[in-house]
Amino acid sequence: MRPLQMGALGRPRRMVWADLCPLLGGVGLALFLVSAFTPLSNLLSRPMGGPSALEPAEAIVVLGGGVMPNGVLSNSSMRRALHGILLHRKGLAPLLVFFGPVRDSGPAEAEVRAELARALGVAPRVILAAAEPRTTREEALRGSVLLQAKGVQRILLVTDAYHMRRARTAFEQAGFEVLAAPTHDLSSGVFRPGERLALMRRVVEERLARLYYGLAGYL
Amino acid sequence: MGQLLIPVLVGVTSMAAYLVGAKGLRLSHGCIHKAVRRMLDCLGVTLIFLGVNLGTAVIVILAARVLTREFLSLYLVADETLLVLSLIQALIFQGWRDLSGPNVSRP
Repeated sequence: MRPLQMGALGRPRRMVWADLCPLLGGVGLALFLVSAFTPLSNLLSRPMGGPSALEPAEAIVVLGGGVMPNGVLSNSSMRRALHGILLHRKGLAPLLVFFGPVRDSGPAEAEVRAELARALGVAPRVILAAAEPRTTREEALRGSVLLQAKGVQRILLVTDAYHMRRARTAFEQAGFEVLAAPTHDLSSGVFRPGERLALMRRVVEERLARLYYGLAGYL
Repeated sequence: MGQLLIPVLVGVTSMAAYLVGAKGLRLSHGCIHKAVRRMLDCLGVTLIFLGVNLGTAVIVILAARVLTREFLSLYLVADETLLVLSLIQALIFQGWRDLSGPNVSRP
């Protein structure tokens, strides 16, 4: 018989620890299985984007999504950039703004996207590239300096659907009238277990980011 | 059908492992429950390590932003390697508990 120590409520301390870990492990395993093999992540990510509002605006603002040090855009960054370029080619706004900083070293994401837009036929004079902002909030603040000096108030905001709610609030607080132009909604096209886990990770990250923005007073 | 491939695959190999253990190696049937509980115990310790690692990383990043001019993204902590390293920490910790004698708490 091993000796037991009594906790403050008279319950053996070691029993609490011995029960806690398997319980936590069981909950973790259940969440993993539900996230990977059921549409839970699809359902949770669906309301995050909100509806698309593709109407004429004064500028299209494409938020940063990541670039590798060798200048290759991340999937998210490429998706956002192409969506912004397509909206411009449809004539929805005369100005096209790309955000995206340098990662570690190499070219700035904003410059790589601006080069892509020029290569796809967008006139250089309508492209603005801002590499200084590193967060969504900084993008909103920098955007207000860049665009409101040009009299721009109404913008089409391009980002991933799951990121739109936080980004939209940040830009509205910076003084813009925001029309949401999310890239296609990933929630409807994800079925494999690994993809569902990746989507769940994005959902959790975004909810934590919203919590952080709320605690910091940014929202 | 494609969505069922991985669960079916794992189910089949688990059944094969059970047969090898029960028939070939003559392992005790009653110990399976204890083995599952031990696995859940280790998974729980992994999640505790993961939570502590994530919390510490967030504090370090926020402190670095305040104390230095270096900008570190909070997305840096969202890396799969942290989960694997937390699992390794948990396995070592559990092994230490197991090898440290009968007076140590274990399920």
